[in-house]
Amino acid sequence: MTLNRFANRREAFWRGIHDALGAPVLVLFAGMIGFGAMGRTHGFDAWITGLTSLLMFALPGQVVMLEMLISGSSWLAIGFAVTLTSTRFVTMVVTLFPQLHRRDRNPFLYVWVHVLAMTAWAVSMREFPKMAPKHRLAYFMGLALPCWLISPIGTVLGYFVAGWVPSAVTLGLVFINPLFFLLTFTDVKPWINRIAIGLGCLFGPIFYVLDPDSSLLLTGLVAGTLAYLADRRWLRPRPTEVQT
Amino acid sequence: MNADMQGWGTWLALSAACVGTYICRAAGVKLSGHINQDSEVFRWLSAVTYAMVAALTVRMILMPLGLLATVPLGLRVLICALSLGVMVSHPQRRLVPALLTGTLLMLTYGVMRTSP
Repeated sequence: MTLNRFANRREAFWRGIHDALGAPVLVLFAGMIGFGAMGRTHGFDAWITGLTSLLMFALPGQVVMLEMLISGSSWLAIGFAVTLTSTRFVTMVVTLFPQLHRRDRNPFLYVWVHVLAMTAWAVSMREFPKMAPKHRLAYFMGLALPCWLISPIGTVLGYFVAGWVPSAVTLGLVFINPLFFLLTFTDVKPWINRIAIGLGCLFGPIFYVLDPDSSLLLTGLVAGTLAYLADRRWLRPRPTEVQT
Repeated sequence: MNADMQGWGTWLALSAACVGTYICRAAGVKLSGHINQDSEVFRWLSAVTYAMVAALTVRMILMPLGLLATVPLGLRVLICALSLGVMVSHPQRRLVPALLTGTLLMLTYGVMRTSP
């Protein structure tokens, strides 16, 4: 791929917006509508439900929060459990942001990082290698900003729509999130990450049965490490190992 | 239960959840300053993240909370398999048709279930 894909940052930004306004925004919008409907059916405040999407912007954590509030957990336990489900952001940011241009890696990243979610991460990981480092932040912002802005809108819409939409439609909407994640896996190219996905699918349910709260983190560490070791031991060509 | 107390608990939980989630994002920024994308640590972390995302996805499909749990497990898996089939049926990857296949099949099941 050519590294002169964009003439300037503005073009990269608009390309990001263009890429966002397809499947990513649609998927998030549908997922947030589903979440808003869930908040309504469980009897939560419209403000709580909408603010969750704006300030947390992490659908799995949001769902965990609602579920635990219903079952009457303490706010401390809820905060801890949600933080555990959000630990994936640590590794997402650590894998994505080092690919940005040196000049862009400044304290402003602490602001920009809030709009990062799984959808934008998956698309960026795929597209970043196809563009010059100096265009990557602009592309990422174009991609992630609409995703973030659409989320509270979708949530509030879902909140007020729930009740008069047939449950069959809601069923289709809540299925979009897991399906989208599953489909993006077929686009992952490096074998080390393919093995990690396979092992994650295998260990995830097992660890979830053992301990739901820590299962994501545990699965990631065990499956990821096994994939890394397998890749290092058998798959990687010898010469590159010497170079690194 | 005292509605006022319940309200306070909910807002506290929301604040804790938001702060916790942001701390994870900020920790990523902090750590990313020290990691090179060609390094061994990066390769390992990449694998860990993909494994976590995969675990989350499989959990949402096999052990969902709420409405999806009312759909039989076999049907959920079958619809996923069909959508994956549509996705890989073309080298360009048919994301939107595959998403539509899965969503519409799920919707069809919902309609058939509600009408006697």
